[in-house]
Amino acid sequence: MDEAPFKCLRCGHEFKAPYDKKAPVEHACPKCNSNSVRPLKAKTRPVAKA
Amino acid sequence: MMDVGRHPRINLLTYSEIDNISGYIGNFHVTVRKKARFVDEAECNACGECEKVCPVVAVDEFQQGFSSRKAIYMPFPQAVPSVYILNERDCLGHNPIACGKCSDVCEKQCIDFDMKDQLIEFDVGAVIVATGMDVYDPTEMDEYGYTRYENVITSMEFERLISAGGPTTGHFIRPTDRETPKHIGFIQCVGSRTQNGKGNPYCSNICCMNTIKDSLLLKDHYPDTEIKVFYIDIRAFGKGFEDLFQRSKQAGVQYIRGVPGEVFEDPATKNITMTVENTATGAIEDHEFEMVVLSTGVIPRNDSEVIRSLLSLSRTEDGFFMESHPKLKPVDAPTGGVYFAGCVESPTDVKDSVTQASAAAARTEILLNAGQISVEAITSELVPDTCTGCGICVRVCPFNAITGGDAKAKLPVEIVEAACKGCGTCAAECNFDAILMKHFEDAQIMAQIDAILDKDPMEKIVTFACNWCSYAGADLAGLSRMQYPTTQRIIKTMCSGRVDANFVLHAFEQGAPIVLVSGCHFVDCHYIDANRWTQKRVEKLWDDLEKLGIRPERLQLEWISAAEGQKWARTMKELEEMRQQVTEEEVDHTKQVLKEARLKAEAKKKAKESKPKAAEKAPAAAVA
Ligand SMILES: [Zn+2]
Repeated sequence: MDEAPFKCLRCGHEFKAPYDKKAPVEHACPKCNSNSVRPLKAKTRPVAKA
Repeated sequence: MMDVGRHPRINLLTYSEIDNISGYIGNFHVTVRKKARFVDEAECNACGECEKVCPVVAVDEFQQGFSSRKAIYMPFPQAVPSVYILNERDCLGHNPIACGKCSDVCEKQCIDFDMKDQLIEFDVGAVIVATGMDVYDPTEMDEYGYTRYENVITSMEFERLISAGGPTTGHFIRPTDRETPKHIGFIQCVGSRTQNGKGNPYCSNICCMNTIKDSLLLKDHYPDTEIKVFYIDIRAFGKGFEDLFQRSKQAGVQYIRGVPGEVFEDPATKNITMTVENTATGAIEDHEFEMVVLSTGVIPRNDSEVIRSLLSLSRTEDGFFMESHPKLKPVDAPTGGVYFAGCVESPTDVKDSVTQASAAAARTEILLNAGQISVEAITSELVPDTCTGCGICVRVCPFNAITGGDAKAKLPVEIVEAACKGCGTCAAECNFDAILMKHFEDAQIMAQIDAILDKDPMEKIVTFACNWCSYAGADLAGLSRMQYPTTQRIIKTMCSGRVDANFVLHAFEQGAPIVLVSGCHFVDCHYIDANRWTQKRVEKLWDDLEKLGIRPERLQLEWISAAEGQKWARTMKELEEMRQQVTEEEVDHTKQVLKEARLKAEAKKKAKESKPKAAEKAPAAAVA
């Protein structure tokens, strides 16, 4: 699964996690553990791998 | 199994696969693919002449690869029906010009190389899923040398080697020199209770007792054998199990608390050596065995996905199928009329599997004997005139309870109330208000929002909680006397899937500073996958709010299980802090923006509705 950027809407922490719009999985903020994590705009495009 | 095969009212379909299942509780339509066995089942008397002349030698899967079979063979000694089978892939003679020896010797002319798969269709009222399990393949745990060292075998392979019907007719020998080993080590929890990414974190339930049984078998056959069992802890709960464990110890089997990190093979003797920390004594011990048995765990069948998707089932985190309720409906699937027996639901031993199977049979009898079912009070109901047949509800229904719908032909969908479980996802997703969720209608929920925000809306956090998990989590927090702010006001829905985007927008328009949508964790969803739609909806709402200049942070999402009272309390504390950051100006702006957006949408909808009416009138006027 490709990774996408997420932002936690509880604590503001930004992180990357696997994201597939067709097969949603449960996400939690690695910092505060909240599930209010929003896939950021680039969600439809996979993040380019370095 | 023989009794089942002979029973006049049981139609046993072996060597068959489910091709399709449609319908719902009481009315399933099943299509079974009965695979071609190339041997006439009714005629074959298992004389075995065909097997004798078959020139093909293939690996015998049943004997775990310890012996060979022919291309035409009996799958295993007690197979029901007792009929030969021709493996198409192994057979040279599928093109009979190439061989055909089996056909030549078969006096009853049972062999038919032109046999084709057969599709059998029938109707049933209930389905029992008993598709069993697979065994963990320890090859990935390279530290135990399985497949690298011949004298490291799995517990399944042990079963064949010690069995009277096995490749050695029950003479236990080690693969390298065909000698009976005098020192045997068992390593427990291989592929179970692991946290390092190899294997599975759950306990496989059956392995401890299986090893205890194996050790007693060995001691019975070969009393002089030295047996050592390396374990994390022995789980011998259940009737008579502790007694069996004690008998094994009394028979001289040594139980050592600790498992080796790695095993090595002595190239000269092919013996297996290992170093183990005995956590009971604290000593570091070296051990050498002629043979090591890996007590491998149980995993879900890798082909169970087909059944899962056909019957709209869901899985728990461990990959096994999720039951309707772990305590009250342990053999019922969330899909009505579907029941579980055995390892399909979790790793279970023979006794538990039989208990489950008996329970599943009884549950089925209750259903079928009644001849009718009571439909849930909370189901969705169609408003046919409003339905455009767009079919979004058909796509989102976790239970396949909605069918049909054709937007072009303006055909409305159909709701099978008997199959509906009442999650309300359809009603939340419908853009045309064409689905009424009984007892959780839009008007009822909107009225609750209005009542909550009627006085001091700035002091309230509107919280949507699902019946099964998050509401129960709130309950637990209360029962446990956990302290948390009292600003949240709960609106209960059966599933978070019911939370319509309009409910959230309405709450904000009525002045809510913070709105929380909460539901079950994904693996716990009582409506299979309805809460995936909740997440999608909330994600879209975050985007929409941002576009309108409203901070998306004010809409929060949380998955809280019935056991997570603490998470509930912590969430409420965090949301209270967030609530205090929201200013009155911000809320006023939100109210204004949402009101404008709503009026605009309503006007647009009105204009759209009046358009076709004008078009309908035009030809009439022309005729006049
Ligand atoms: Zn966070």
